[in-house]
Amino acid sequence: MSAAALERQIRPIYDALDTGSNKSAIVACNKLLKKHPKNDLLKSLKALALVRSQKVEESLVLCDEVLEAKPTDDGTLTAMMHALRGLGRHNDMVTMFEEAYKKQPTNEDLGCQTFFANVRANHWKAAHQIATRMFKQFQDDRYLYWSVISAMLQAKDTNTPAAMRPILYKLAHRLIISSPTPSYVNADRFHLHLSILRELDLYEEAQGLLDSDIGKSICATNLSCNEVRRDIWLCQGQLQQEGERARNRIVLMNDRNWLEFLAVLDATLLDAAHPSVPTSTNLGSSKDTLTKIQRAQDLFLDVSKQDRLKDRSGPLALLELERRMRAHGLSQDSTRLITLLKEYFDNFGDKACCFEDLKPFLDLEESDLSQFTIFLQVVPAGFTNVSELRRLINAYKLLRYTLVESDITVDTELERAAAYVKAYFQALPLGVGLPSTELQHADDFALLAGNAYVNIWKLTGNDCHLLNAIYLLEFAVTKSKQSFLTRLILIRIYRLLGAPALALEHYRIMQIKQVQHDTLSHLILSRATAFSLAASGDLTLATECLESTQIYVSNSQETGDFVVRAFQSEKYSQIPEFISFEDQLDNSLQRDTVKIEHLRMRLTHEPISSDIIDMELIELKFIFDRIHYDNRDFAILPNYQPKISRDLNQQTLLFGKPEGHGWLQTFLKVYIRAFQQASDLDDTVEEKLLIGDRPKQTADFDRNLSLRDRLLQQNPSELANLTSDEAKLVEYARALADWLEPYHNYARPPPSVVLAEAAKQTELKTGHPLKGIEIPTINATNGHPKKDEEPPTIQEPPEFVLNYFDGVRARIDDSKSNSSPTELLHVATVAQEAFLLFLVETLRFKSPSVVKINKLSSLVATFNCLRAAAISALKDISAILIKRGESDGSSESLSTCAKIGDSTFASQIDHDFVFIHAKRVADSRRKVLEGVGKGIARICMTYAS
Amino acid sequence: MSILRPFKAADMFKFNNINLDIWTETYGIGFYLSYLSRWPDLCCVQEAPSGRMMGYVLGKAEGTGAEWHGHVTAITVAPEYRRLSLARKMMSLLEMVSEELYKGYFVDLYVRCANVIAIDMYEQLGYSVYRRVREYYGSLGVGKGGKDEEDAFDMRKPLPRDVNRRSVRPNGRDIIVSRHDVS
Repeated sequence: MSAAALERQIRPIYDALDTGSNKSAIVACNKLLKKHPKNDLLKSLKALALVRSQKVEESLVLCDEVLEAKPTDDGTLTAMMHALRGLGRHNDMVTMFEEAYKKQPTNEDLGCQTFFANVRANHWKAAHQIATRMFKQFQDDRYLYWSVISAMLQAKDTNTPAAMRPILYKLAHRLIISSPTPSYVNADRFHLHLSILRELDLYEEAQGLLDSDIGKSICATNLSCNEVRRDIWLCQGQLQQEGERARNRIVLMNDRNWLEFLAVLDATLLDAAHPSVPTSTNLGSSKDTLTKIQRAQDLFLDVSKQDRLKDRSGPLALLELERRMRAHGLSQDSTRLITLLKEYFDNFGDKACCFEDLKPFLDLEESDLSQFTIFLQVVPAGFTNVSELRRLINAYKLLRYTLVESDITVDTELERAAAYVKAYFQALPLGVGLPSTELQHADDFALLAGNAYVNIWKLTGNDCHLLNAIYLLEFAVTKSKQSFLTRLILIRIYRLLGAPALALEHYRIMQIKQVQHDTLSHLILSRATAFSLAASGDLTLATECLESTQIYVSNSQETGDFVVRAFQSEKYSQIPEFISFEDQLDNSLQRDTVKIEHLRMRLTHEPISSDIIDMELIELKFIFDRIHYDNRDFAILPNYQPKISRDLNQQTLLFGKPEGHGWLQTFLKVYIRAFQQASDLDDTVEEKLLIGDRPKQTADFDRNLSLRDRLLQQNPSELANLTSDEAKLVEYARALADWLEPYHNYARPPPSVVLAEAAKQTELKTGHPLKGIEIPTINATNGHPKKDEEPPTIQEPPEFVLNYFDGVRARIDDSKSNSSPTELLHVATVAQEAFLLFLVETLRFKSPSVVKINKLSSLVATFNCLRAAAISALKDISAILIKRGESDGSSESLSTCAKIGDSTFASQIDHDFVFIHAKRVADSRRKVLEGVGKGIARICMTYAS
Repeated sequence: MSILRPFKAADMFKFNNINLDIWTETYGIGFYLSYLSRWPDLCCVQEAPSGRMMGYVLGKAEGTGAEWHGHVTAITVAPEYRRLSLARKMMSLLEMVSEELYKGYFVDLYVRCANVIAIDMYEQLGYSVYRRVREYYGSLGVGKGGKDEEDAFDMRKPLPRDVNRRSVRPNGRDIIVSRHDVS
């Protein structure tokens, strides 16, 4: 058959791959492979289709065959690139391209591909070398710059030793000045050049570039370059010059970038902030400072006069200047700050951001504070136009923010809540005509009331106040459907009240998508196992976990492509940003917190087997080795609490405990240790069976410690993130693991046996033997090797393990009378988790032959007692939950809460509305109590023996 | 009063207060990165002194010959920072860069015909309707506002390079093209 004919036949395979019809792509490949069994393109396309249909093992074999042949044609290389990427084999991809480029060293495109393969694998050193070679060969300046930035990225890489870094920057510097064309021909090259000079502290050279006409013009039109310029000036200590430059921009060009005002401010108080000789003899310079202050003040006053209400920069700069003068003891007029605050409020009180603008200036002394308070208290309560309303809202927010300890009592807070509610209903008519897509002007009053109710709940412990918040805020969202801030408070409160389904409903209405999953999924998934109904078959929350992690897949698939694109379009300023974004998302704390949460749910739902254990173990170990970035957004919550109290986020955290690094580390240790004991995979086996590249260890830990040492480390600061029930669970898991460790180690089959079994399974599955593994001949009895040594003596279970479930019973008794079932659910699900960990730890000893050959039957007898005790406790807990679910169904008691609120509340929100929402809370509680209760019962049944 | 600075990839972690608004779409990572990897100088952020993002603009340069121009793809301001002329400042940066760096003939943008407030604002900034694009926002279907909800105005503002002011035409509102005729 001619090449053209074959090509015609291959085209449909591409179409099938493009449309996601992997199955038909495989069929078509198989058909053509019969005629062309040696065709690499066909093999690589089939490998790709296999990867995409999750048939990893089969795909591996094909990939290896193609790699062996060292292909050079574009089609094969591209198909292989995608297949290998799907398998996480970046290193193999690099080798493939390098081999191809070696064979065709004049192929420029192949050179680029090889460079990009290294870029994707973060092999900066190799990337640098390739780019250097390409520059020599193809004489395109672009390649020189690629080599420059590769050297720079290598210097930035965390794995590069500190001593190497300056050498690499110097190399980058030497290369960039060797460029045949100057760097200023293009803003991004110029940016790169400046960045290198900054790293090397070569400020004079940088200044030379910046002072040139073209340098100035680039900085005037390019914000990124200007950012580096500003930085270089500051590093040089040229604050004074920067201040002058900024002043000129403000005066001559009407620039109102706040950065320019900050530059003027920094320059003005330069001597006060860094006194050269900090003594009283320094009068000359303090006089100088006063002159400068006067000059700055004049500037800001001029700007204020000129801009009037059009721009807030001038007045705000005056405030900031006064604040700084006070900090340095330079303020000469004790009333000035308060005057400026009042003026600012008078002028900009009708801007929504007035409250936020003034927050930094509110550390006031008592007399100032009382003046300001009186000023704000007389702001007229006008509801006839938006401007009046905004003023009132800002006044309320400022008054609330500056409350002092003695102002915050239950009674005063109740009064305030009533005032906010009243204002809310008075303000509402103003927005009657607004389209449903607009926010209501009155919303902020409802948010203030929400904050107040939460605070009263904190002060009294009475859940009724949270219910009142719900009734009001639910009412507010019917009036203002787009008010996501209202929904955020509702989500938090519903979780506190044990009505997770309602929280999820609001979360979904907000249409969280893409990267927002990383920053916001904590709202619904933090400690979500307490509400998971996975054990009784409802996978809603477990699915939510999986959906929220899709973004990490697209990150690893897409972001690398854009790094490559930034190279192609020479946007050097973006490359380090993209790389750190990718890294920050890939190593997200939330990602792995959700991972653990999903694992906890998974174990309640899927039968515990060695397959799950092995797979999860490998993944958790990788997670344990990596550094984590906290990208969660808590600032989004509308916090209007007084500055001396805890903020709304802290107040509404589930169980009052934040999740974070400590929580994640602790649970990782618990599960890795349990899985490691239960698993047959030791490090040597894992190494052989691992597909794809081993991720780098980026976590901060002592590299001399073994994994076991790290797992045993106890860090009090990590434990501080746990609830008391979680802390007990951790102690239980530790005691259990310590006790069983010798028996696991004794009974675990040796690596050779494990590998042989794995090889057997792979061959059964794919028809090919497992690569790189020689199957040893084993002297086996029933598949188990004979032991030379005696089994370890059987120890009694530790006290903590024996008594754990008694402790749980006591905790259940404590928490079952709480009005919210959340804590009860937490205690119950943590106890369930303890039982599941027990099952993981004892799984190995389920097999009678293992027990017999290892002479562990008396150990197993103690398991049976422990299991029986646990099951008996869990059955009781399940019954308590189900019964509680029935009684929590009464919504009448919940709706009566509205009565303890104030009269406005009752007169404005009718009883039916309250009753409907009370019923929804009651229904949601019943559903979760019943579901968790039944789930526990189901687990008890499944693992009864 | 706000900080004007470049939009950076990591801003995707911070833009919730802007993007949870109904009129602001949150796209896949690739959308933002594709703009940043080609026109980083046409993408910028307004930030409050507290570090909170207030708004951002994403733009690009496109077209051939006398059609070469700067385009505003997305401009958005968080609800609490509206009425502070932030959009105006971001637009003027984008115009300046389109003019001085990209040497474009004009800057253009698309706006829902029903969005009278925005159209007014753009007109004050010197933009005028160049043409009406049929069913540009087709996804919503014909709503209360009839055709105005799904049709877009292509509004343009000439830059000095457009000496003949070809990007301005008085009868722009009457010139109707299909969405397939525009890029």
